Order: sequence, then structure tokens, then C-alpha cells
Amino acid sequence: MPVPRGTAALLSAAVLIAAACEPGREPAELTPAETDRTMLDADRNAVRVVPPARRIVSLVPSATLTLAALGARDLLVARTDFDTAAWIGDLPSVGGGLQPSIEAIVAVRPDLVIHFGGSQDLQTPRRLAELGIRHASVRPDRVEDILAMVRFLGGVTAEPEAADSLVLHIESELEAVQRASLGAPDVQVAYVLGGDPPWVAGPGTYIHQLIELAGGSNVFSDLERRYSAVSPEEFYRRRIDLILLSRGTAFDERMAGGARIVHVSPALELPGPSVAASARELARILGRIP
Amino acid sequence: MRRVGLSLALVALLACSLVLSVRFGSVDLGTAEVLAALTGRAPDWLRSIVIELRLPRALLGALVGGGLAVAGATFQALLRNPLAEPYILGISGGASVGAVLMLATGAAGAALWALPLAAFLGALFAIALVFGVATASGRGMDVRVLLLAGVVVGAFFSACIALILSVSEARTIQSAVLWIMGSLANARWGSVIVAALYTLPATVVLIGLARPLNLMAIGEETAQYLGTDVERVKRVALGVAALITAAGVAVAGVIGFVGLVVPHAIRLLVGSDHRVLLPLSFLAGAAFLALADLVAKLALAPTEIPIGVVTAFVGVPLFLVLLRRSLTA
Repeated sequence: MPVPRGTAALLSAAVLIAAACEPGREPAELTPAETDRTMLDADRNAVRVVPPARRIVSLVPSATLTLAALGARDLLVARTDFDTAAWIGDLPSVGGGLQPSIEAIVAVRPDLVIHFGGSQDLQTPRRLAELGIRHASVRPDRVEDILAMVRFLGGVTAEPEAADSLVLHIESELEAVQRASLGAPDVQVAYVLGGDPPWVAGPGTYIHQLIELAGGSNVFSDLERRYSAVSPEEFYRRRIDLILLSRGTAFDERMAGGARIVHVSPALELPGPSVAASARELARILGRIP
Repeated sequence: MRRVGLSLALVALLACSLVLSVRFGSVDLGTAEVLAALTGRAPDWLRSIVIELRLPRALLGALVGGGLAVAGATFQALLRNPLAEPYILGISGGASVGAVLMLATGAAGAALWALPLAAFLGALFAIALVFGVATASGRGMDVRVLLLAGVVVGAFFSACIALILSVSEARTIQSAVLWIMGSLANARWGSVIVAALYTLPATVVLIGLARPLNLMAIGEETAQYLGTDVERVKRVALGVAALITAAGVAVAGVIGFVGLVVPHAIRLLVGSDHRVLLPLSFLAGAAFLALADLVAKLALAPTEIPIGVVTAFVGVPLFLVLLRRSLTA
């Protein structure tokens, strides 16, 4: 059912405001700082964007995919062990995305290293700073973080138009999914990432946002953390219509009760440029779009 | 004569292990490139790899390994327990609680030294707690109580870690597990200096206590009759060994097996005279950890495997071979 453009814009704003009100940190704003020569990264550190990065090491798979989507894959000079796509497989590996081999990074002489933000790997940015290597953090937890990451990577690679275009595409796709889901009956959804007890997506995650955008309700939206292990009893106690299960994940189906179980692609757990396609997949599973 | 030969061999082994640690890493550099970096004739990126990454890492490995081995030998002598090792008094548990708390609260990001300092303070708290229990009777330090208190306090700290992690974000759990597994990858010149300031003077102090430790190995009463101030020796030796361990955990995380296996291996080779055992344990521990780190760096390069895995994989078979040889001799 078509929705007036103004209504869609209002709905989008409402989703973003709701996301901003969720527990967790302040909304990310990777906005240009006072001068046009720096941008703030996910940890709110000013990062030089002049000269533009021409030799990049990305330790974050979603940032790597974003750079490729921006047409900047030729700027990548190394990969992590988890980047296995054919187009990047020939590059030298620097190890894992967390605690990579610093000397392998130094050896490819990067002019920018993209790493995980927050506290999960404090040593890597410190070592890079000590060695005088420009580095920037990304932390794509929510949809607005993903969009900010796209703009940021566009900024540091001097591809702002490509970034704006990609952001516009993602936003319009998400709006389309949202429009298609308006007025549909509520579906109580649990997203299980795996583990025993099972880890589920809670509030403050882009998965939560996509579920809500596609007209579902995240059963575990009351959790205090983004991703949590929950007691199996919670699966019996809560009304769940649909369990989204990361493909290849073991799950005790007795916990499903009468809920439908759908296996989803692990690609849905990559918070990058494919977020729009992920939203469409969820909307299809929920029967919002054909 | 055998002791002199073994001493020389261990000095040579340590020197070789340090050279190899600087020569080899996840990046394939030639000998000429490494030498150029060491003599300041290489480009900045090459100098960074050799001077800022490999050299401090090799030295830190040697210091931590040597310190853990000396601490292990001391604990085994004083507690008269072959299973004694540097972490037996709950030191690793205390340090881990300090580190995990910093990670869970986000305070670890405040400053470079925040996490090692918290780990060190956690280790000191564990030491104070265990020593406090062991001396509570007022009749001196009872090593049996000390041992029991260490095991119980260690178990308590393990429960604390499990509690903190169970209410933490997945990312905190990830970073905590990485820290607890131990690594030398974050070695800096600053951490080398800290480790050296604690480990080297402390090792000298323990070697200075070698004779009383020999007497106490016979029995505390005998040592007392022969003029040893048993209580003082116990307090100083245990305190110093605990401090070495605390400093090692603070800069490199929890690295197992070195403090257990190395002193036993040296004891099997040269006997229990602490005047020989302690310095040789230091040399062997230093060489062992530097070589173990080399394997950790190279086995799956550029991915690093936890150094504790290497120390166990190498140390256990080596120890079993030595044990078998000593039994059949």
C-alpha cells in the first residue's frame, strides 16, 4: 500500500528517534569537525581526511564491504583472516580483526587502518598511534551507525558523493520496507545468534531495528544489553511467533514451542551496505513483501 | 663441571632465542634488513617492526619467563609442594578480576596503564588476603594454611570473573578472554622497563636467599636450629616471588606452565641446590618463554596462537621426557 512521502519521512524519523532513545551509548555522529580536514570516528576521535587514504587496512569486515561498495576496493592493501571473498583473498592477511599482527600491518605501509571501536580491542589503536599510523574506529551497532560509517569511509577516501549515494539508497530501501509493513499484524520475533544458552539480539542493535522496521516486534527488546545469553525458560515464558536462527546454528527446537523457525543467512549479521537487503529479507520472511 | 656446562648452554640458548625472536616474526624480513633496522639505516616502517615491536617483545618474554621460573622454584621450595607454581596463591585470579573489572566498566580505555595497574593491584590484593589468612594465628606463617588459602581465594576470584562476564557485553567477554589467555603481543619499552624493575632486583634478592632456602628444604625446624630466621625468610621470599608474579601478570596476562615446568626440569638436571637452581631457572625460563613466543608468532602467522598453549604443548612433553630419564637413571 503506497504511503505519502511525508508520512514515510515522519515514520523514518520516528524509527531513528526511537533508536536514539534505546539504552546504550549516545547516538553516533560521524560528522565533520570544525574544519573540513578532520572527521570524528566512532570513538569521537578526530581523524585527518587530508590527504585521502590510499592504502587502507580494514580490520572490520563490514567496513571492508562498505569500502568495496564505495568503489574503493583497490585502496585495500591487506585483509583479515575472516575476509575470504575472492576479490580480497589475494591480499596479505594481518591475522584476526581483534588483536591483529601489528607488524604485518606496519609491513604493508598503510596510511589508514580501520579498527573496531569501543573497548573490545584497546591495544591495537594504541599501538598504531604510537607508531604514527593514522587509524579510525567504526562501530556499526545500529542502522544510523552503519550510515555514519558509510559517510565516514566516503570522507576519508575522498568519495563523499559515492557515500551519499549509498546512504540514500539504503535509506530509501529501508523506507520502502517500512511502508510495506505498515498496518500489518504484529509478529513477535526472536533473533537467535547461537550458543547454549542461546544468545539473542536485544535493543540497540541494527537487527532489532530491522525487525521493527519490517513490522515485527523484538521479543527481547527489554534486555539491558545489545546481545545477551538468555535462559531457555524465557523462550517458554514469552509469546514468540517467529524465531530467526542464524544458519548453521544449533538450537533446541523444543524451546520454540509453537513458533515458526526460519534459518537466515549469516550475511544478515554483517552490519554493512547489505543492511537494506537484510531488511528486505526480513520483510519477506514476515510476509510483508512477496 | 656439569653445572658450569649447563649454565653456559643456557646463556647461549637465551642469547639465541633473543636473536631468533628479533630475526623472525609474522613479516618475512631478511637478516640484512633486520641489521639495517638495528643500526638505524632502514626506513621508518622497518625500524618500527624491529625496534618498537620485536625487540621489546623478545626482552619482555625473557623477563617474564625468567621471573615466573624463579618465582615457581621459590614457591616449590617454601611450600614444599611439587605442584606449587607462581599462580598458586590466587595471584592470577586477583589480577584477572582487576583486569576484567576494568574491561567491563569501560575504564580500561581511560589510559594505557589503567588495565595493567588494575591487574597489578588485583594481584596485590590477592597476596594480601592470602598472607593475611596464613598469618592470622599470630604464630608465624603456616605454609599449609597459605596453600589452602591460595587455592580457596583463587576459586573465589574465578567465581568473581564468571559473575562479571555473565553480566557483560559479548565484546567485554571477548576482550577479557583474550587478556586472560596471556600474550606478549602488546610489549612496549615501557612494559619492559616495568618488568625489569620488578624482576631483576627481585631475582637477585631470591638468589641471595638461596642458602636459607636450601636449609628450609630440609625442614623449618632444622633450618631454625642452624641459625636461619625462618619466618623472615618465608615472608621475604614469598613476598618477593609474589611481586614478580604480579608484575608478570600485569604486563603479559596469565601464562601458565613456565613457573611449574622449568624449575622442575632444572632440578632434574642439576639437583635442588637453590644457589644453582634459581639462576639457572631464570635463564631457562627466559629462553623458554622467548622461544615459546616465537612459535606463537610463527605457527599460524599472521594469526597468533595463545602463548599459554605453546608453553603447555612444548613444556609438558619436555618435562615428561626429563622425568622419565631421571626415573630410569
